[in-house]
Amino acid sequence: MRLRLLLCAALLAGCATQPAPPGSVVAAERLSATVVAGRTTKAELLAAFGPTKSVRFDSGYEAWVYQSPAGGGQFSEFVVLIDPSSVVSKTRTRAAAAP
Amino acid sequence: MGVFMAASVCLPVHAAGQNTVTVKSTRDPVDKSYRKMIRGMERFERERAFAPNATLRFQLLPRLPSTDMRGITLRISGDTVSVPVDVDANNFFVLPRHAQALQEDAAVLASRKTASMTWRARIETPGLPEGTRRLGDLRLECRVGKEAGLVSNSSPLFGWISDALNTPEGVCTSPDGNYLFFAERPIFAVTLRAGERVETLPFNMLYAGGEQTPDMLPFCDCQVLLDRTYYVPLWDASWPDDTLVEFEYMDDGVTP
Repeated sequence: MRLRLLLCAALLAGCATQPAPPGSVVAAERLSATVVAGRTTKAELLAAFGPTKSVRFDSGYEAWVYQSPAGGGQFSEFVVLIDPSSVVSKTRTRAAAAP
Repeated sequence: MGVFMAASVCLPVHAAGQNTVTVKSTRDPVDKSYRKMIRGMERFERERAFAPNATLRFQLLPRLPSTDMRGITLRISGDTVSVPVDVDANNFFVLPRHAQALQEDAAVLASRKTASMTWRARIETPGLPEGTRRLGDLRLECRVGKEAGLVSNSSPLFGWISDALNTPEGVCTSPDGNYLFFAERPIFAVTLRAGERVETLPFNMLYAGGEQTPDMLPFCDCQVLLDRTYYVPLWDASWPDDTLVEFEYMDDGVTP
């Protein structure tokens, strides 16, 4: 009984600390040269960089995120908003966190 | 979801062993305990230092795409008392104090079906710039919301885990607390600003962590508000209570 309870506790702890997949790694220069708000399509993103971490909403919008190496083991984030017609409507870059 | 599955694995242990769990109430998850909500209001008064000039209201929010949020009525219902509560056009309300309802352990009942809505505390300092919140207000919202038992998860098992593991202190002061906030409109970015210090929150602090799958969403009270969902670093004392939380919306003012 005690062993089974310990097993459950371990399972709970393991699940709670599992890291999230961060998104595909793409150089910042490639992203800024390729992705243009109002023009680039979802199909073009997939063709250029493959699938990445994304969230699809009931509204039809999608948010995709890429990681770009920023030196020192740090990564910046590049976030793309895709509208319901599958065209990129916005992009933004989040600088790498301070070490 | 991982916690949900692990807990499911654990259930046969309890069932097969000698432990007994007694369910004291079958209260509908969308109905709230009046006593708990009053305790939340008392906590607001005790901890006003987080938001000295703010006011407290409660808000009803949709959980299902089919939920009609127009014309909702609300009442405090006990064994002998029934007190109507005014709900405004944006589904905000202020809960009145009623001694008899407290004594009767009344419920706060909304005119909608089980699991069709969720509830939050709304604490707002007046005079903030449009499209911003104040971090101290959100810190107090978390404490009041948890104290008042407002989060509506539809799974009884989830509720059981929540009750067992999540205290206001644990949730509101831990990086793993994951108390969900909802913006007014779908968000694209959330930025913290305190004087010269400005930082945009990482992607995994938006959209309930970006990890919700269609199978998981029904268990989250962010089910239909996923694009308005964000976490903030409530636990991080390096951000003062006066920190502004700024929103960039998906639509830039035009409904998508």
